[in-house]
Amino acid sequence: MEQRLANAWRMTVNEKKFIETALLSGLRIDGRNLYDYRKLTINFGREDGSSEVLLGQTRVMGFVTSQLVQPYRDRPNEGTLSVFTEFSPMADPSFEPGRPSESAVELGRVIDRGLRESRAVDMESLCVLAGRLVWAVRIDLHILDNGGNLVDTANIAALAALSTFRRPDCSLGGEDGQEVTVHPPDAREPLPLTIHHLPVAVTFAFLSSESIVVLDPTHQEEAVMGGRMTATLNTNGDICAIQKAGGEGVPQSVVMQCLRIAATKATDITSKIKEAVEAYNTERSLRKIKRHPVPNVSADVGRVKENKNLSFNLKDGDEFSGNQMPKISQLKLEIRGNDPQSDSVGGNTGIGSNMKGGITSKGGNTGNFLGGPSSWDPYSKGIDPNLLRSSLASRGVSVPSKKLEDLKREKHIISEAKTEVPSSDNKPTSLIINSEGGLPTNRKKTLKDAVKPKHKRKKRGSASTNGS
Amino acid sequence: MEIDRTDGRSPNQLRPLACSRGILHRSHGSASWSQGDTRVIAAVYGPKAGTKKNENPERACLEVIWKPKTGQSGKEEKEYETILKRTLQSICILTINPNTTTSIIIQVVHDDGSLLPCAVNAACVALVDAGIPLKHLAVSICCCLATCGHVILDPTKLEEEKMKAFAYLVFPNSINSILPEGSSHTKSKQLEDGLVTSVTHGGMSVEDYFHCLDRGRAATARLSDFLRKNLQPQVLGEGSKAG
Repeated sequence: MEQRLANAWRMTVNEKKFIETALLSGLRIDGRNLYDYRKLTINFGREDGSSEVLLGQTRVMGFVTSQLVQPYRDRPNEGTLSVFTEFSPMADPSFEPGRPSESAVELGRVIDRGLRESRAVDMESLCVLAGRLVWAVRIDLHILDNGGNLVDTANIAALAALSTFRRPDCSLGGEDGQEVTVHPPDAREPLPLTIHHLPVAVTFAFLSSESIVVLDPTHQEEAVMGGRMTATLNTNGDICAIQKAGGEGVPQSVVMQCLRIAATKATDITSKIKEAVEAYNTERSLRKIKRHPVPNVSADVGRVKENKNLSFNLKDGDEFSGNQMPKISQLKLEIRGNDPQSDSVGGNTGIGSNMKGGITSKGGNTGNFLGGPSSWDPYSKGIDPNLLRSSLASRGVSVPSKKLEDLKREKHIISEAKTEVPSSDNKPTSLIINSEGGLPTNRKKTLKDAVKPKHKRKKRGSASTNGS
Repeated sequence: MEIDRTDGRSPNQLRPLACSRGILHRSHGSASWSQGDTRVIAAVYGPKAGTKKNENPERACLEVIWKPKTGQSGKEEKEYETILKRTLQSICILTINPNTTTSIIIQVVHDDGSLLPCAVNAACVALVDAGIPLKHLAVSICCCLATCGHVILDPTKLEEEKMKAFAYLVFPNSINSILPEGSSHTKSKQLEDGLVTSVTHGGMSVEDYFHCLDRGRAATARLSDFLRKNLQPQVLGEGSKAG
């Protein structure tokens, strides 16, 4: 017991006085204005539904998982949502492992109230079989670093994780429609949750003298404050929850002013969350398109990835795999030459899938591709994007790989091409007409090839929807 | 007979490594270590006053807290905590700060195979970041044995589940000596050949196990280089942060 007290962090009287005096002149110790938020960074992890939020020095991770359970008796056709907060001992020396402390429970309850009572997440869409099976969504929030204002950060982490979470698709079947089959993510694309609005928590700290109010307190300011208030609201201006548990009394006018400030801050934060989720979704869909494994090239990619990771991880303290992903996927994009901005390549991917049928008939250049990795090492002389694009223009999206994998993929793509286009020999669609019956002499480029891109782009759109 | 791994690596190839240290501000030392998609964050607090009840007060004590990604801590987490504690106790110099407790907290961010080795590596970097005195560093790797008898390093979760057996191995950091060759050769050789920790799952023959050990030790040279490079003083880094 004494040891625990000996290890607890106490703020010195000098520090307290300094913070209070500075605030009397409107200065905060980290140089912010009274109503400014610290720098907010939202990163996402590898899986759907995992987020990491940094608000200044405070770091919180959110993970969302789901499970099929029996619903509550009084709500037979609604899913359930539960929030679990972990005050990890790594966040603060005073956090002990084991039973959650009062503040941990309070934090969990504030976030839970903000989400549940305001009906931010649509619960009825989580019902699978009324009265028997519903989805239970579980949010785990791990506080990793306590730099102050845990409520806001944890709330943003929960919202970000919920926005990117996807639950498996399930369908009813069987004789009387009572059998539920849950589809694995590769079989059917998992579905996002229906989120009506984002309730954002905004915390104010009231400091002892002269009714000083600050927004987003750091943990030093929290040690000095006399009371705090958290207002949870959304961009529509609806107040979802207000929490002011004890602390010193504050006049009503101050409370109303805080709510007004909170409304503007909530819109800012909501837009930031939405931007981050958008970026994640685009990156995720890019990843989904190229899900085929790339054997030998990745042997080199692995090494290059490692080097890249070394170089940019050594200096940046806040690296996260979510951040690395854009760089790595960019690298992958370069290798595969699947540059979405370039129209010619985009157009030609369609050719690629069609030309796969004719790929074995091509000698020369493609023969090199089908060979082992030694015949094509992109890193021996650096990646020349123009060279790649032109080579891809003649060969399509295929990436060089071992014969086995290539043949497998060829078969796959041929079958894919076949499902959309009955056979390259027939000419039922306009695009086959353009491609001259399966391209028997593939290397001759005619004017018709120049015209192809227009049609190929549409085909690629359909190809990706069919393939993925 | 070559094994085809789903992500196209060769049997001896490790996943891309990434490490950053000093990521948390309240803890005395912190590190994030990722091997491929497996990512672990470790934080160190210490030394704090006093030791736990049954610990020897004449030595420093280590305490490990393992936090899983979701759910409560169960028996598996307790097992990881014990293994990690014993591993780290053997690399820390325990006589320097007697009657103190150093806490190491591990947070699993994503588990895609080879979780315990990742945690050991992260804990090691976090201890260095906190300035806890260590005898030597430790590098850890997972070697698994496929049904056809091949040894594969650093498996992903899917590979781990399909394997006949796998072993988590912890080796001391390979020596990068500035002394002339041959001076203290025998001693350093002994240390290099040592094995700090080995945890096996599944059954394998003795030869296969030794085979795993050899492969693992060979791979630790690369891990050690990466670790050493990463632990260089971040002088330039700090400068740019301040500026």
